[in-house]
Amino acid sequence: MKQLSGAIHDLASEVVSVLRDGDHRSVAGAGAVRGDEAVLRVAAVRALGADVLLPTTLLRRPPEEPVLALVREAMRTYPPGPDASSATVWSHWAMERTVLRLTSTDGVPDRGGRRPTGAPPTAQPDVSDLESAPWQRLTHQLAVLGALAVPEADSAVAEVARRRSLDVSRGFVRAVRRRDWFQAAGAGRWLAAVRGAPGTLGLDTGLDFVLHMGGADPRVALHTHAARWMRATDPGGGEGAPS
Amino acid sequence: MIETPPPEPRPGARPDPRSGPVPADPALIHGVGDRAVAWLHRHRDGFHPRPEADTPDREVRDRLKPIGELALIGKVLFREGVAGSRQAARSRQLLDHAWREQLDGGRLLAWMQREEPLSPIPFEIYVPFRELGYSSPEVEENARLTHRLDSWAALEALPVRRLGLAAFERRFGLPASIDPGEAVGATWLGRLPEPWTVGLHIGYGITHTVFHLTDWGENPDGLPTDIAEYLARWLPAWTDDWLEIGHWDLLGELLVVDACLPRPALEDQVWRAFAAAQAPDGAMPAQGPLPEGDGREIFDEVYHPTLVAAFASVLATSRAMGSLIGEPA
Repeated sequence: MKQLSGAIHDLASEVVSVLRDGDHRSVAGAGAVRGDEAVLRVAAVRALGADVLLPTTLLRRPPEEPVLALVREAMRTYPPGPDASSATVWSHWAMERTVLRLTSTDGVPDRGGRRPTGAPPTAQPDVSDLESAPWQRLTHQLAVLGALAVPEADSAVAEVARRRSLDVSRGFVRAVRRRDWFQAAGAGRWLAAVRGAPGTLGLDTGLDFVLHMGGADPRVALHTHAARWMRATDPGGGEGAPS
Repeated sequence: MIETPPPEPRPGARPDPRSGPVPADPALIHGVGDRAVAWLHRHRDGFHPRPEADTPDREVRDRLKPIGELALIGKVLFREGVAGSRQAARSRQLLDHAWREQLDGGRLLAWMQREEPLSPIPFEIYVPFRELGYSSPEVEENARLTHRLDSWAALEALPVRRLGLAAFERRFGLPASIDPGEAVGATWLGRLPEPWTVGLHIGYGITHTVFHLTDWGENPDGLPTDIAEYLARWLPAWTDDWLEIGHWDLLGELLVVDACLPRPALEDQVWRAFAAAQAPDGAMPAQGPLPEGDGREIFDEVYHPTLVAAFASVLATSRAMGSLIGEPA
């Protein structure tokens, strides 16, 4: 599995690079690969989920067809099974939702009728375990579901994150204290997406701190750059909660 | 001799985040303090600043610090009505013993004032005793004389210590040597910084800032609104952290802070873990399990967390009982 973790690492690094520099390089889709490498790349795309399309989502660029094709292939190849974890189901849902949003208006399939297989995006997976989770576990779970934390997020997960933003803020504090940079970055990304950080949290300096301390891990850098992007482009300055 | 059995875990008390954390059973909270005071009472000779006839003067001065903590916390234990007559009686005996036997009716404090006129320690220790009715004209004269010196106001101290001095001056009836608002603003907590930067030393700074602002829990209204709101937001993240680390000394102080808030959480999960860390004889370890060693070594290690456990318990019990009878938040 070391190869897969390496492929995920490389793919996340590519996404980070595009987010950081804002350039027009392609993510993942450039260059044809075959055999094991192709299989590995699809698996890495599945692992990273909708975040493969994050530059398109955040930078508001038209989607690149080769990247979309990769995401579709990942969805086809790795559909969530009947025993899939909630995180897997949600991750799949986010991919579907993102592809639909980028290729159609109002969630209608595109001209080619290329609607992803699986549950329709309107039918959202269950969030009751998130709603009842203590704030520590909530933050852990949300970090895993970080790909759902995008501007104007309207999923049921985002609704929980919005409603429990103080809990997520406490989770951010806990994660930084524990030097769990991935969880801190994920919590910070959610707080940026739902504009839920109290002013005294110091989210902006916190994101800088997390990126500096844990950014060698591209998954940390990805969440952090996404969060900083949302904070920087938020017309409300990211201050949606009282201090 | 154990007066209150250690608590049994309460099954089915899983917190529902939608309705806030489940508050602890007041009986469980009270039991922690009851056992802690019993331990302190049994080990009261450990507070003696000159345990041996030939104890060096330098060590005697160092050993005044525990008596100061005993005085400040013992006063709260004695004054809190819900402490129960047995606990209040033991607290009073502890304070009596400390004043008469260990401070020699205040003469030891006066001795230290002559040795180190600018040390605020004798003054800080004296104030709670004075509030309880003990008095030493010599200590008071020395304190008033020193307080008039520019050197007293110029003493270099951490802002939280300076805030404490301002509070003791107010409690004694002396003009403040620093503007209280300025003193609060200079502390870490007064600036409401990023809560994720809190470490052990900052943690103790936070708790002592709250102690001074509330006169060691006697006046919770002394907390400025912005600080109370800040603490209500971030305290759960810190208690969770030091609970997991098993740092019972700082956790106990954070539980005191909780009990000083307008709406204390008195969280069941945290109090149960705190109670479980306490030894059956009432001693509270500072961190992890109880240390091993001779009686003196163990006393030096555990007297502080045990005092803090009694302190947190008496305030939290008071707040829990207050909420049961409908005390306004």
